[in-house]
Parts: sequence; C-alpha cells; structure tokens
Amino acid sequence: LVSRPPAMPTVVLMDVSLSMTRPVQLDGTEEFQRKNLAVHGLTMLFEHMATNYRLEFTALVAFSSLWELMVPFTRDYNTLQEALNNLEDYDKTCLEPALQGVSNIVQQEWGSTCPCQVVLVTDGSLGIGRGSLRHSLSTIKHRSEDKKFPLPFPFPAKLYIMCIANAEELQNSDTLDNLEQLLSLNGGEGQIFTVEGPLKLIDQAYTPFHAVLRCGNLSSDVQVFPRPEPVIMDEEVDPAPRTILTDLEIVGFIEIGDISSPPVLSRHLVLPIAVNKDVDEMGTGTTDETEEENSANQMAGKSPNFCVLLHGSLKVEGMVALVQLGPEWYGMLYSQADSKKKSNLMMSLFEPGPEPLPWLGKVSQLGPTSDAKENPYGEDDSKSPFPLQPKSKRSYAQNVTVWIKPSGLQTDVQKILRNARKLPEKTQTFYKELNRLRKAALAFGFWDLLKGVADLLERECTLLPDTAHPDAAFQLSHAAQQLKLASTGDSQYAAFDHNITPMLTDFSGSGSSDRDRM
Amino acid sequence: MKMFSISHKTAFVVDHCPYMAESCRQQVEFDMLTKNRPQGVIPLAPVSKSLWTCAVECSMEYCRILYDIYPTRKLVNFIVSDSEFHILNSWNQADQSTQELMAALAAVGPPNPHEDPECCSILHGLMAAVESLCKITEYQHEARTTLMDKADRVSNRGRIICITNAKSDTHVRMLEDYVQETIQEQNKLAISSDRLMQIQQCELVLIHTYPFGEETLVSDRPKKEISPVLTSEVHSVRAGRHLASKLNILVQQHFDLASTTITNIPMKEEQHANTSANYDVELLHHRDAHMEFIKSGDLHPAGSTSRDSGLKETVTLKWCTPRTNSVELHFCTGAYRISPVDVNSRPSSCLTNFLLNGRSVLLEQPRKSGSKVISHMLSSHGGEIFLHVLNCTRSTLEDPPSISEGCGGRVTDYRITDFGEFMRENRLTPFPDVQGSEVAGKVPLERAKRQLERHTRYWPMIISQTTIFNMQAVVPLASLIVKESLTEEDVLTCQKTIYNLVDMERKNDPLPISTVGTRGKGPKRDEQYRIMWNELETLVRTHMGSSERHQRVLDCVLACRSKPPEEEDRKKRGRKREDREDKGEKNGKDSESERSWQESERLKAALERDREELAEAEVIKDSPDSPEPLNKKPRLEVEDVQPAEKAKGPVSLLTMWTNRINTANSRKHQEFAGRVNSVNNKAELYQHLKDENGMDPHENGKAMR
Repeated sequence: LVSRPPAMPTVVLMDVSLSMTRPVQLDGTEEFQRKNLAVHGLTMLFEHMATNYRLEFTALVAFSSLWELMVPFTRDYNTLQEALNNLEDYDKTCLEPALQGVSNIVQQEWGSTCPCQVVLVTDGSLGIGRGSLRHSLSTIKHRSEDKKFPLPFPFPAKLYIMCIANAEELQNSDTLDNLEQLLSLNGGEGQIFTVEGPLKLIDQAYTPFHAVLRCGNLSSDVQVFPRPEPVIMDEEVDPAPRTILTDLEIVGFIEIGDISSPPVLSRHLVLPIAVNKDVDEMGTGTTDETEEENSANQMAGKSPNFCVLLHGSLKVEGMVALVQLGPEWYGMLYSQADSKKKSNLMMSLFEPGPEPLPWLGKVSQLGPTSDAKENPYGEDDSKSPFPLQPKSKRSYAQNVTVWIKPSGLQTDVQKILRNARKLPEKTQTFYKELNRLRKAALAFGFWDLLKGVADLLERECTLLPDTAHPDAAFQLSHAAQQLKLASTGDSQYAAFDHNITPMLTDFSGSGSSDRDRM
Repeated sequence: MKMFSISHKTAFVVDHCPYMAESCRQQVEFDMLTKNRPQGVIPLAPVSKSLWTCAVECSMEYCRILYDIYPTRKLVNFIVSDSEFHILNSWNQADQSTQELMAALAAVGPPNPHEDPECCSILHGLMAAVESLCKITEYQHEARTTLMDKADRVSNRGRIICITNAKSDTHVRMLEDYVQETIQEQNKLAISSDRLMQIQQCELVLIHTYPFGEETLVSDRPKKEISPVLTSEVHSVRAGRHLASKLNILVQQHFDLASTTITNIPMKEEQHANTSANYDVELLHHRDAHMEFIKSGDLHPAGSTSRDSGLKETVTLKWCTPRTNSVELHFCTGAYRISPVDVNSRPSSCLTNFLLNGRSVLLEQPRKSGSKVISHMLSSHGGEIFLHVLNCTRSTLEDPPSISEGCGGRVTDYRITDFGEFMRENRLTPFPDVQGSEVAGKVPLERAKRQLERHTRYWPMIISQTTIFNMQAVVPLASLIVKESLTEEDVLTCQKTIYNLVDMERKNDPLPISTVGTRGKGPKRDEQYRIMWNELETLVRTHMGSSERHQRVLDCVLACRSKPPEEEDRKKRGRKREDREDKGEKNGKDSESERSWQESERLKAALERDREELAEAEVIKDSPDSPEPLNKKPRLEVEDVQPAEKAKGPVSLLTMWTNRINTANSRKHQEFAGRVNSVNNKAELYQHLKDENGMDPHENGKAMR
C-alpha cells in the first residue's frame, strides 16, 4: 500500500560472450559458471528493486560482438527476470558498440537531461585485438566527430561495473586499468565492484532518500524520489557539490500564477512514509513479515498525514509552497496530477542561489503579508505583488530607435509625415515622433538626416492644400527650423535632453484641445 | 559562464578621428513615395551615414542585445577617441543602459572633419580602455569583500572591442603592441592600489571598417595569442549593414547566445485588417535554451536554416496559438531572457506586445521524424520576456501511485479548506532590501517562518479531531491569538468570544462535536462543552508566552471555564460507570470527589447564582449574543468562594495569583471611559468602526479575516 519508489532509470548491460561460461573456483562447492553468478547477482538486484523501487524503470541489454535490447524500459521485474534466465551464449566481448547502444536507447527514451544508472556486468575479459576495450581506449584520441567514443554519455550517468572475477584474476591483467579508465571517461561517476558486488551496489546506488517535511509545527516523514543528486554550481571560487537538507522547511506560499512555470533543476515525488519503529526493530526473517507490513501500512493509511493535507489544499487553492532546501537554496511543492484521479505531491528544485527567479526577487526578502502596511493581494484577492518589476525596461518594452536596416529609418520618417499631414489635430504625436527621431540622430551623429527631414517638412509646407488649417504651416516651418538648428551641433539647440515643443500660435484653439486629449 | 569571465567587462573604443566623418557610401532613401501624393514632386536626395554613425549605431545595437539578455553583471564601458579620450560611462550598474550611452554620444557629436588628423589617434582610447579594465567593478568589489582572505581569487578579465579605420596590417600590429605594453604598465600600477586590479586576461577585438566600394588595406585574422595575457583578432568589414551583421555575430559569440526563429505567427495585415498573414520573428537568447537540440544532434532539423556567413544558425520553432488563459505549472528546465533581432520591425513588436500583455505562447519543434512536440514557451514576467524550455521527453515519474494510496491516504476528513485559508494567510510578499535588517532579526523570510510556527502551534489536521475550529463562534479568537502581538482591542475581541461561549454553554447550544468512531449519539452536552473548553485552553495556552496580553486571554479562558470537574464526574458516573477507564486523567480523583461533592455542589450553586445575576444584568444591558466584558465584581466573589477547593479546580495557582493581583489593581484603576460616559448604564462599543465602514464588526464573521 505504501509504495517505496526508486531512483532513476537503470540499464543493465549484460555480457553474454562465451568467456562468461568459464567456471568460477569456489572452495568445496560445485562448479558454477560465471554467468550463473552474474544472473544470481542481478536476480538479487531485481528483487531488491521490485520491493523497494517499484516505480523504477529498468532495461536489459545483452551484448557480445553485437548487442540487443532484450527488455525495453519497464517496471515489470518478472519480464526482466525471465529474460535474464533465458539468455544464450554468444561470441566475444565488444564493449564499445554496446555502450553506444545504451547511449542511444537512453536518449530515445528519456532525452539527454534525465540521469541514468548503467550497470555493466562482465567477467573482466574485455576482448582482444580490434573491438576490445583496450583497442577502443588506445584509439580514443584519434577519432573523427562521428565516431566518437560513447563515453561520457550525453546524459548524466552513473556507471556501475560488476566484474565477475576475483581480485587475483584482475591483478594479473590490465582489466582493472581499462575499467577505471572507462569510469574516468564518465567523469568519475560510478564504481567498480568485484564478485561480492551486488549487495554493495544495492547499498550504494539504491538507498532511498528520507527527509522530514515541516511547516511550522506540522511535519511528516517523507521519501524524496528520485534521490536528489548533489548539484555543483559553476561559481568562481571553490565549487563544491551541494546536497539538499534532510529537513525540508516550508517558508510560505505563492499562487501558481505568480510563480509562473519557473525553471527547475529536477522534479521529485514527495511520498509520506510511516516510520514504524516496531517493524524495524523486529528485523527481518519472521514468517508473517509481509502480513505485518500490510497491516502496518493499513494503519499508516488511516492516520492523518500532513503531506496529504498539504497536497489537498495546494491542489484546491492552486498554490505552491516555497521550501528551503539548504542555505540559499529553495524549491517548491505543488500538486501534480497524473490523470483525472491520480495526483501527487511533487517537489521541484530551483537552481541554488539567493535569487533563483528574477520575478520573485531575493527569496530572503519575501516575508509575511501581515507585515505589509497594506495587503499586497488586496482585500478581495484581486491584486498580486508579483511579478517584481525590474529596475530598467528591456529594449522591446520602450520604443527604441534602430536604423540599421533602411526600413527602420523609413518607418520613422513616414510616421512623422503621416502626422504632419494631419496637423493641427495630431500636433502632440507629430512632435513626439519628431523628438524621437531628433534624439536618435543626435546620438548617432547623423546630422544630415536632421537637415533632410527639415527639407522634407518645408516641402510639405509648400504642398499644403488651401483647405489646410493655418496652424499646420506654422508648426511645419517651426519644426523644420528647429531641426536645422539642431543639425548645426550648436549646444543651445542640439542638447540631447532638449525637446522641440509646439509653436504657440493664435489659432492654437484646436491645437490645445488636441493636447488635452493626448 | 563564470561570473568574472572575459565577458564581465567590455570596453568599447570607437574611433572619433576626422576620417570617421567620411560617408560610408551606402545611401538611404528617406523620402519614400507614397500614395495620394501630388504628381511631379521630385523626392529629396537620399542621405548617407558616416563611418562614425555606422560604428555608433552598430555598437549601440550590440549593447541593446547585451542589456536585454544580461540586465546585470555584464558591463560595458564606452570610450571614444580623437585628440584625447572621452569616457562616456562607468562600470557602475546604474550607468549601464543604452539611454545613458545615447545621451553621452549626443554630447560628443560626430567627428569634426576639420580637426588636425595628426593630433588624433585611436591610441588614446585604447589606453583608456586598458586603464578602465584595471578598475574594479561593484561586483568584483563585493566578491572581494565577501571572500576576505581569499580576495585574490576574484579574477579580472575583460574584452576590448575597438572600431577604427586602420591604415595597414603593420598599423594593426602596432595597435596590438601598444595594448600589450599598456597592460604591462597598468598591471604594475594596479599592484599597489585597492581600487585597481591586475588584468589577468584580455581579449582584443579589432574591427577595421571602411567605406563601401573601397579596397580593404587590412586583412582578417583569427584570434591569436600576443602574450599570455593578451589575445587579439582582426575583422575587416565594410561599414553599414556588413558592420552590423558582424557585431551581431560577435555579440552572440561573446555572450554564448543562439538564435531561434518563431515561425507562423499570425498577424493582421496593416492594409487589410480582415486578412492575416504569417510572419517570422528572430530572437536571440542564451544558447542553453537549445541544449536539448545540441545534445541530441537535432540542431539541424528540417526547419533550421544557415544564412549569411554560415556562422549564423537559427532554430525554427512554430507558434501555437494559445487557446486558454488558464494558469498552468509547466515542467520547465530553463528560462532565458530574449532580445528580438529586429526590435522595432512590425512582426517583432507585435509578438513582444502580445507577450508583454500577459499571454504565453507554446512553441512546437518540428522533428526529423516529422513528429511534433511542444518544446518551448514564450512568456513575460514583469516586463521581461523569457524563453522557457519545456521538458518534452518521457518522465521517469510517470504513473506514480496516487497520494491517496499512501500514508494518510485513507483519511477523508482533512481540513482542506481551513488549510487553504491558512496558506492564503501565509502567502509571501516581497519587501525592499534594507541595509542592516539582518541585525534586527527582521529578515523577511525568517519572519515568515516564525509566523508559520505561531500559526501551527495547535492545528488539528482533521475535522473529527477538533471542535473549536468547526465553530464559527471561535473564529475571532482563533484568528487573533496566533498574532505576534495583540492590541487592547484584540484582547477585548478574544474575551468577547469567550463570553459568547459561556453564554452558549448556559443556553445549552449544541456543539459540532464529531461522532466519528463513537457509538450512539456521542458525548452528552456537558461533556461536549468540557471537550470544547479543553481544546480552547490548549490553543490559547500554546500562545501564553507570546505577550502579557496573550496571557490575559488565557486567564480569561481559565476563569470562564472554572466549572469544577467533580460536578462533571458525578454526572458522568450517574450516566455510565464504564466510561471511567477512558478518562485516565480523572482516575484517582473519583473517591476524593465523592467526599468533596457536597461541598462543591454548594459552591456550584453559589457560582450559578452569580452567573444568573450577571446574565440578568446583561439582558438588560446588552443583546444576549454579545455579553459585556465580565465585571470585576462577580469575579471577585468567585475568587472569594474558591479557596475552599483550591487545587481541585482547573484554576492554576498562577491564574489565581494573577487574578488576585488584577483584582487588587482593579480597585485602584480609573473607571472605563465607556462606563463613565454611559447613558442608563449603556455604552455603545466600537463607535469608530461604524463611522469607518458603516458595518457592525460582529456580523462580519469570517469575512473579517
């Protein structure tokens, strides 16, 4: 009932070359093939995952000189187990194409941002000559772009190598060196295990992340799934991996519309767990263990849990909870609906830092609304203090002048002309456009344009029809004269902050009413 | 990109010598022929920009894009050079805007063609640029101050973009050598100064520009290392649009930008308003917005085009007309500021205005396979437009078990609405960053956490666990008691709430006690009230330490519920003997209470009498629903009777002592203004509220919150 889900997708890459059928010498017992040992180890892994990580996706790839996707990503461990039991034996070990295969499979399924675990199971005899790992590694520096070695994977990956060989065997060859080189190609992400590997692997890679979620005095024990990976920030000084705290503290709430689809590093399910000490202390091995677990789970289902309350209210109210993950590191909790009926409490991690979202500002400067003189959300919830307005406007929000393309300049001149023909009604817009052009021309040192536009306005003046308002002629010649003066560069007329103002005329009755309207 | 990478500081050096006044020899028609013009008008001669105008407008465009995408932390210092250097702004963030620079450029004006060319040189500007790169920026200063002993680890790198008209390749080499020497000199000076930093790395970008139709005297040269500190590259470009596209490519290279073209934007035709055509708009943004394409090798999908020099690539994404305005929380892996390439073209401004008005647009990525997927979203936040990258691959979190299948999932009576109300009360709001606020313990976020702590001291999660939070009558007290500090008026409201409960009990009003999990009709009425009072006391007790006024509210609760438990016990026993083992707290008292029962009964009678007297008085004085604050007098009498049973009642020693003190004080205190001014012993309360909003605050109930 209480599900304990997984970490991240796993690809099991199983060596099925002939050498895997070599026997292992174990004292006083019957002879085993290495393959049997490998299958036994993987069975343990699958069993562990089936009980503890039911949500984990796992794929099985078998390889020799060729590779084959035996089981695509699935949560069905029976299928995996069955395929594992029915593996046949093939020829030699060629690791490079198999790794390339894994890379393709993962990218097709999960893209290049989803972290994955790759579990390579081999006997440590990594081939000879062409196609051997040794050969691949020795030619790694002389590759063309399209024949690059598959490592490092384009997605974040941990490479776990289960080597079915004992330490003595490994020491007598360069296998360990080659495998270590493989790990370092993967950015050091991963580990090599020998015969007794499976249990250690389970310990290392498949330990659930437990935390306490708090909101003031309300709290719940939770599992965060997948396990949040440490984050390294590309900062100037001492970049150190940062891990999220196991004490997750809610600091307040924000509307979904206000947080507005923020960018996140990763998403995680937050699953309430019942920390049942009695069951833990009893240990394992009792026959009715499962039964007891079930009843414990049923009990847990019936006692109120803060996560469920929080999830319900977040969903109904359309809000998110801001949660502190560490010093200057925050995330958000929200309800994520998978289908009409199923929904879950999710946590997304923001990029570490004091100000992860420009539209919220510094998180440390967010405080309770009750501290504000006036409710920033309005008495009837009609307002919002978000988004925060930046200090300066961006170019596209402030009508900038760019004349790099002739069309930009032509449009601006046309705007002036259009308004010029509707004088005196458009006096205000005419001068507004005129001043915008004047400013830009002065900044760009484009005095010829000022003269040109002055000539244009003078010509317009001569072309005015008899029916034109007398004010039009006055304004046009006034504007032309002012532009000409500016084009001399005379500091009295060419000051950037100076604006040409409409000429005050006796007919300005209509002009002034226009001004009122604007 | 690291904080103090080369692109933290960019020094622009633009040549202002007489030859820059020369025409670029590309003409711009500005007198366009339009319809309904009288025939026979000869258009005015086209104008031509000078080399200076071209250089300045292209560098302004570079800055425009830079400031759009990096509003902070990427700084420009603009310098012009003729017979001397003119520094147009500083590294200060306040000086970083195109308006500032335009105003300063207007003051400089175009180059004077009549100035003596012998006196003029770009070298003045280059020297000023090197000096300027040594100057510490606000951000570097801040980083050094925070790092203290590791201050030397803050680096100082920068770039010089120099737009000039060089005479030859030899001339270019001379300029490079000059910059190299100046760096060495300035670095020596910088050692002994607090406000200067040594230049660790400098990238010189020399742009030779010349009029259209002339042969270039300078050859292009890719980046090369002049010294460990200095690299240099040379670009030889014709003025006008060639220079513009060169600087556009450079700003992309220098600041890790990439281009996306939004295609299929439906837009009304200017001339024919009822038709619409589809337009494309090109945007620049940080190249990480294309990360998924780069990694998957999908960077050259069917829709992408390679234009101009082949250096410039753009990813094409298709506009999806938004259907609803609903707010949705998308799974977004990145958000990057954008800048339109053609900022004031009509399609660009249509798109940006649409977004600035608050609409979001989803963008579809055409894939090699022909399948379609929504990969990005354009959205504005506070007047800034961002390109959001949406996750479009399969999620590992798909199909998880529902929360209702886990811990607490079977519980059906969570106080969802109440917690929603709680969340609204605990919404966050930004406060201005005031210096020294940390010291006073007033960091807004810390205050938010403290508020959450106060509000959750007693917060039952399910409806059947609580009585008081299901009672409208308790709301005024419950919403006030969690406050950090109470006003005198708040205390009064709390007391009124409590008296109201007393009154309800007296009238035997039913309580919303949950009968979940109990057989039969549930507890009897008096037991219900006992449960209610216990819960109320628990709530108020968690806040008693907050202030003296909180304590007074608790005192009031304790005083009002001081019905001796023995009486309840007796009734209970009479009803059901087996109930006894459930109430562990009462065990042990039973035998004792048997003895003291008669005594307590006598006491109760006295209490009841007092209460009745009081009630009668109230009926005359006020409406029955809002009893007046308890008089000191009856309380005094209760006090006098109580010593007979001391520790047995729910009144604690502390409360008794406090009551005594209060009583003593009350004898000394001045009479309430209300009582003094009352007419027929009747004083109207909250007169000012009526004046303010014309409502009786009591009838407002929950809405008051």
